[in-house]
Amino acid sequence: MTYRRKPDFAPSRRTLMLGGLATLAMPAIRPSYAQSSTVRVGLIQSMSGSLSAYAQEGQPALDYLVKKINTSGGIKSMGGAKIEMILADDASQPARTAAEARRLITEEKVSMLAGTILSAQMLALTPVLDEVKVPTLSIWAGGSRSDQLFSLGFPYDRGYAQSMHDMVVWLRDKQGMKLKTVVPAYSNYEAGQQTNKFLVEKLKASGFEIIGELPLDTKAQEQTAAMIKLRSLKPDLVMGLVTPRDGLLLHRARYDLNYHDSLFVGGTGGYSDLSLWKDMGPDIGKAVLTRNLFGMTGFAAGAKMASMQAIVKELRDDAKLSIIGQAAIQAAQAVRVIQRALEGAGSPDRAKIHEALGKVTIPPGDADLYIAKPKGLAFGPDRMLTDGSAMFIQWQPNQTQEVVFPSEFAQVAPRTRS
Amino acid sequence: MKPAFFQALRNPLWWLLLAALAMLPLGLPSYYLHIATLTLVYVALGSAWNIVGGVGGQISLAHSLFVGTGAMLASAMLLNSGINMWVGLVVAALVSGLMGFLIAVIDFRFKLGHLSFALITLAFAEMGEIIVIGWDYLGGASGLFLPRDKGDFSAFQFGGGEGAFYVMLFLAALSVLVSFAILNLPLGYYLRTIRDNENAARAIGVNIFRNKALAMVISAVLASIIGTAYARYLTFADPYLLSSPVLTIEIVLMATVGGLGRSMGPALGALLLVPLGEILRGKLGGVLPGLHYFVYGGVVVAVILATPRGLLPLIQERFARLRGNAKPEGSVASSGA
Repeated sequence: MTYRRKPDFAPSRRTLMLGGLATLAMPAIRPSYAQSSTVRVGLIQSMSGSLSAYAQEGQPALDYLVKKINTSGGIKSMGGAKIEMILADDASQPARTAAEARRLITEEKVSMLAGTILSAQMLALTPVLDEVKVPTLSIWAGGSRSDQLFSLGFPYDRGYAQSMHDMVVWLRDKQGMKLKTVVPAYSNYEAGQQTNKFLVEKLKASGFEIIGELPLDTKAQEQTAAMIKLRSLKPDLVMGLVTPRDGLLLHRARYDLNYHDSLFVGGTGGYSDLSLWKDMGPDIGKAVLTRNLFGMTGFAAGAKMASMQAIVKELRDDAKLSIIGQAAIQAAQAVRVIQRALEGAGSPDRAKIHEALGKVTIPPGDADLYIAKPKGLAFGPDRMLTDGSAMFIQWQPNQTQEVVFPSEFAQVAPRTRS
Repeated sequence: MKPAFFQALRNPLWWLLLAALAMLPLGLPSYYLHIATLTLVYVALGSAWNIVGGVGGQISLAHSLFVGTGAMLASAMLLNSGINMWVGLVVAALVSGLMGFLIAVIDFRFKLGHLSFALITLAFAEMGEIIVIGWDYLGGASGLFLPRDKGDFSAFQFGGGEGAFYVMLFLAALSVLVSFAILNLPLGYYLRTIRDNENAARAIGVNIFRNKALAMVISAVLASIIGTAYARYLTFADPYLLSSPVLTIEIVLMATVGGLGRSMGPALGALLLVPLGEILRGKLGGVLPGLHYFVYGGVVVAVILATPRGLLPLIQERFARLRGNAKPEGSVASSGA
């Protein structure tokens, strides 16, 4: 009698059939597997350093909305995959933004990147994105140099400069204000310089006369000298992109010199940030912010826009956020864009997310459109928002804002010069 | 040249260390390779600064001026005038050398004390940053975005991460070597004599101006070359990084922690602090805002309190004790290695 040794693995017919069925059933099984999976998003925020105000305000809103998406079923096209945010702090230094991006991509294996990523950080990040090809959403950059990077920020040209230009043309032509001479006064940093370049071109083309220029030293301890120069030039308009700190010093100098002969039109933080009132005090704020001043902003709580008011209410009542400003709303908007990009991609594959990110659109009237864009949210070929427009507000003595422009969101007519 | 210099050069340990460092790109992931490259940048800059600040005892805070010139001028010449970056590197180095010489002239002409010298050089650095930010040709506040590095050596391109690592390794080795050579040349002795007692140095016939100026020019030229290479590595020449006096403060900090006046001191400081800072930010940056700065600051304070003269003298002392031949450190007679 001979015995044939049983092989180590001899699949029976039943095993083979079960195996075959399992293979055939894989596509059906995959969603249930994916349900417990996550999609990793690297979040580069300036949580410390000179630019931390944006991230500090935006991060709680971002956390709240990601949690809300995850508890309400996650990314449905990925079988309910949860969004997992991996937070990194670039300490407000562009070179560190690039380093953190590299870490998140290579060590944390994220599927996409997002974060405050202001313009200088965007430039430093570009070589890394070009090299590693990771789709990225910047919340604030004024431009994009990498085909991987999309931004919700105001473009310098058709965002900041065009909006300021349109506002003063409207004041001159529709509101009958006598406006001819202009002195651009802007924070002397990257975004301020870039915006000013475009703004001056547009103003000249519309018949305004530039009678001087005033780059504000971002390290200055006070701006009295700048205001004395403005007083000597006495332009009809003072315009420019001004940081909150420079705005604070400029308006304080205006109060000290009791100068009210010009109309001040500018953005964004240096004219529209709530912190101005806190930092300069209610008396000075009332004297200068509520008189001959219009501030550019992407968000105002009173704007005639149902979805914006709804998210403000939700962040205040449900998320219990104490500060709901432009940075919080912009961050909330970023989460909705990320959600739609991931839904569109249906996979954590970077190339698919990149493609889906470029196709994200949120039409006017949609509940997920939080920022004031009359034409809705969509990315153009330059990966910036096709509608880069902003709103203009005037301050009330009780520290609230009233939207005056554009008409789609306006609550009241603008105050006359005094 | 002191024989110790050639003895050290013949020491196979240094060559083995260099070979080991050269192997790093083969095994390091991209992120850690970046940290290694950044560390080498600071090793190079710290060693260049050490020639003036450590060996010469002049706390120069103007080195961001030289780094910024190397980075911004060479980048601007390429982008705005189409001049090859190798040529830009040479021109920027010459301009930096000239600026270093002028600072030395001002120092000599007005007989500046240590504090005055530090403040004057800080003022020059601030002026340099303001000029860069306000001058469109140098990129203004927006900085300059260089063409993508495609590895064309003739266009000062090194092929990205690995290539940049080797360039920085070369510059770091060069910087340490120059610093070590100076310590073993009469120039090094003169500088240390001036540092320890300038009046006594003058009395014994040391040419104060010539030696100080020479040290400043060598240091400035080296810093400028490193600046050009650093900008090429980053691709984005950021004025707020490369022209900011904060950069000099970082260099001084690393040199102080490592050990001033020794060729390997700044290198040791950079080897400790750069990876520490980067890794702390990576690990703690998402935990609590600013926590990484807090821990980093705590480590620096602890090291300085524990070893006021820097880590290297402490390590050397311990080794000397172990070998039973302790010798005084920081003296003119010391080789400073």
